[in-house]
Amino acid sequence: MISADLWNWTSPVWLVVAMLAIGYLGVARGLSRGQFAMFLFGMLLLATAFVSPVGVLSDGYLFSAHMVQHLILLLAVPACVLLALPKERAAEWFCRPRLDRIGRWLAIPSVGWILGVGAMWFWHVPVLCSTATEQPALGIVRDASLVFSGLAFWWPIYAPVDRYRLHPLSGIAYLFSACLGCTLLGIYITFAPVSVCPVFANPVDRIGILTSLYDAGFTPGVDQHLGGLMMWVPPCVLYVAAIIGLLRRWYSTTDEPSHHLFPMPH
Amino acid sequence: MYILLAVFFLVVGGIEATLIRIQLATPNNTFLSPQLFNQLFTMHGTTMVFLVGMPIFTGFSNYLVPLMIGAKDVAFPRLNAMSFWMLPFGAFLLYFSFFTGSAPNAGWFSYVPLSTKPYSLGPGIDYWLLGLIVMGIGSIAGAINIIATVLCLRAPGMSLQRVPLFVWIMLMQAMLIVITIPPLNSALALLCIDRWLEAAFFEPVRGGSALLWQHFFWVFGHPEVYVFALPAFAMISEVIPVFSRKPIYGYAFVAGSSTVILLLSYGVWAHHMFAVGLGVGANIFFAGMTMLIALPTGVKIFNWTATMWGGTLQFTTAMLFAIAFLIQFVIGGLTGVMFAAVPIDWQVTDTYFVVAHFHYVLIGGVIFAVFAATYYWFPKITGRMLDERLGKWQFWLWVVGFNGTFMVQHFLGVMGMPRRVYTYADNPGWALLNGISSVSVIFMVVGTLVLVWNIVASLLHGQIAGKNPWGAFTLEWSTESPPPEYNFESLPEIKSRRPVWDAEHPELADWTSSKTPKDRGWRPDRAKVCAWAFVISEAVFFMLLLVTYVVFNTRQAADGPSSATALNVPRTGVFTLFLLSSSFTFWLSERNLRAGKHTVFLQWLGVTILLGIIFLCGQAWEYAGLLTSDIDIHRNLFASTFFTVTGFHGLHVTGGLIALAIMYALGRKNSLDTSHAKPYGAIGVYWHFVDVVWIFVFAIIYLRFYQL
Repeated sequence: MISADLWNWTSPVWLVVAMLAIGYLGVARGLSRGQFAMFLFGMLLLATAFVSPVGVLSDGYLFSAHMVQHLILLLAVPACVLLALPKERAAEWFCRPRLDRIGRWLAIPSVGWILGVGAMWFWHVPVLCSTATEQPALGIVRDASLVFSGLAFWWPIYAPVDRYRLHPLSGIAYLFSACLGCTLLGIYITFAPVSVCPVFANPVDRIGILTSLYDAGFTPGVDQHLGGLMMWVPPCVLYVAAIIGLLRRWYSTTDEPSHHLFPMPH
Repeated sequence: MYILLAVFFLVVGGIEATLIRIQLATPNNTFLSPQLFNQLFTMHGTTMVFLVGMPIFTGFSNYLVPLMIGAKDVAFPRLNAMSFWMLPFGAFLLYFSFFTGSAPNAGWFSYVPLSTKPYSLGPGIDYWLLGLIVMGIGSIAGAINIIATVLCLRAPGMSLQRVPLFVWIMLMQAMLIVITIPPLNSALALLCIDRWLEAAFFEPVRGGSALLWQHFFWVFGHPEVYVFALPAFAMISEVIPVFSRKPIYGYAFVAGSSTVILLLSYGVWAHHMFAVGLGVGANIFFAGMTMLIALPTGVKIFNWTATMWGGTLQFTTAMLFAIAFLIQFVIGGLTGVMFAAVPIDWQVTDTYFVVAHFHYVLIGGVIFAVFAATYYWFPKITGRMLDERLGKWQFWLWVVGFNGTFMVQHFLGVMGMPRRVYTYADNPGWALLNGISSVSVIFMVVGTLVLVWNIVASLLHGQIAGKNPWGAFTLEWSTESPPPEYNFESLPEIKSRRPVWDAEHPELADWTSSKTPKDRGWRPDRAKVCAWAFVISEAVFFMLLLVTYVVFNTRQAADGPSSATALNVPRTGVFTLFLLSSSFTFWLSERNLRAGKHTVFLQWLGVTILLGIIFLCGQAWEYAGLLTSDIDIHRNLFASTFFTVTGFHGLHVTGGLIALAIMYALGRKNSLDTSHAKPYGAIGVYWHFVDVVWIFVFAIIYLRFYQL
């Protein structure tokens, strides 16, 4: 199964990674080791999403691989990038009124929520899902939009500047409701009798691995089943992990920061 | 009241259990008929879950939460009365079925199709359904009350990071109830419609899905386990520190892991369905999730153990029960983790191994915690101490009886004895083990009699307790025992998690050594909290109904009408606009009420009501059209789901209109002013919610957004 065909070493994603890395090293000084590691990890994930079998198989072969790629782009990479931003520098940038306005806008929880959860739903409308897989241009739009919505989604939780972050308790509600959103979609995909992304039901066998895939048990039915479960369970586990982080943040503050954009919920 | 009711039904459920065990004491026994046996285990399960487990914890949290946060009473005393009286009413419905000669007999989870009309003709299941719906509504109301109490009525100085663990965990439990009962209610509603109106949601023969019931039931059923376990954790988290003479070890871990349990418990229900055939993928994922949820519970066990470590342990009866809880709950938890492994589950599911597992969790864990709580808080509630010597008798009787009854059931399960059989053949070893199990019940029965005797004797001439007999830490111990009607004369200053300790030992006060965030003094409005909690619970209810709709309508119905052929979309679109604009007019009226412009407020409110009525008329028109063209609720699954979803929505609109009409009438009598803006806003939350639901209903049913 693991053949050289399954790796796409010449993927243009390297260019993106290189540009991001140069940009990051250029602007970011005074990094902690953890932040740097976080950035490296994010870039590694980004490359994996396209270079490894995940990227190759998601290109028309396996819906479940597509879902893994989708989640890496939407959830994992943006979170890593936000966490990797140096706080002091970011505080300087967001002192500028224009950037500050953007930061404030992104800090409105409904914006991030709708962009994040909406991106999941929007790109799994069957027509869009199929076309984006078949047309490379639309595929790039999709991937880019996923990363940006992911950034918007995580902004209220992991923004580099504290004043844009939600109160931890509101953050928990935010993440929990998002978990509900992707759970519903996951359940729908898992149990839907029809193909959610028809292009994966009849793949074009570009590199001659289709038979071996089917032999290994990845028939379209099983594949969509797995894809739905990918949408359902891993994001929720990730959100719960983030919630644990928020709880830790909440209990470790001995004095509440005085300036919050939003009061507590409820 | 709650606690008394729960104790009464504990006895009833216990008698049922004793009868079951007598029947099973020897092979091929004929003490009970198979039918009666089925009824007894169904009623035993239902009673213990809904009439003992739920009310006893609601009772404790009702009594203790206001005391612990320094409040005079719960946020909504009248709502509290309502939610209590729903219980005996539901219980009456449930037990009345015995007089009709056919008590429910389909097991406590009433799997379809066994519980559908063709297989259960008698009225037993109907009583079961009604009783559960009534009790479900009651517990949601009770939970909303607790949420509002904790969020809105904390004494000055008590920030949310400073509340006693009991309060925090009960808050989590209340939130869990709010989101976990609605799936049950929607499943019950669907089954009612199946049984009474001949729909076919759960009848595979007519296109329905029996699996759907299992999904819905366990979406409720699994979190329900935590609805029981969390309060037990809450009680233990108070008892162990006091009798170890130490603060709890790792407050944040105990509190945080409770929150995590709340979140995770909602995503593991399918592990009750490993044997159903969901597919390998689903089984693997759910097995993983299930093992994950063992982690936060494990964290707590370490916290409690670490609290005892190096403490000055005082082995009072309450503490003994708490320690037994720890050990037995770990056993129950470990067998739970075994079940998370799919192959083991396949092997032993529906055997006595399962019975042993959940009785270890529910009795060895939960009931032992309740006993600990009883011995700990009885002095506060009655003013008199329970007798320690009798208490220890009860403790040892229960430990022997409980472990004797259920430990052997593990072996029986592994040997292959299925649960819910009314008798069994004389297989090697079975008679002996079942005999041990049944004989041990005697110990528990005697232990319970000792407890009852202890309570009666102590009430009459127990030792007078005084304010703080245990040297405990939390606010309820700073007032008289029993507390006066208004709970407190004066409160100690709250600067840490253990205010009473601080007051009694100023030189060792907590706030000098470990800092907690200061209270900012901000409390949300209780009407708003109530409205939002209610709306969330309703949202879950509608979400499940819509899921049902989508499940049954992903393909065009081949056997009759479907949404494409039967519905007039543009016409309903117009009526939708009426409903949506009513949200806008409501907003206008609310603004005017706040600004004190009385006449304008009344005008806009009138317009809102009018728009709502127009919408309902539109719906009636549509229904009439469908019914005359012979499309009614039992025609096919599209019709059933359509009428169910829109019908429930219509009912909610009607409810909202009644509330608005009451407001209008009050407004006409000039008894509304700006001070009523907050409750009015709460009604507004509900009204907007109903409109938002309609947007989803319209998008899904009429515009068919899911049928892509």
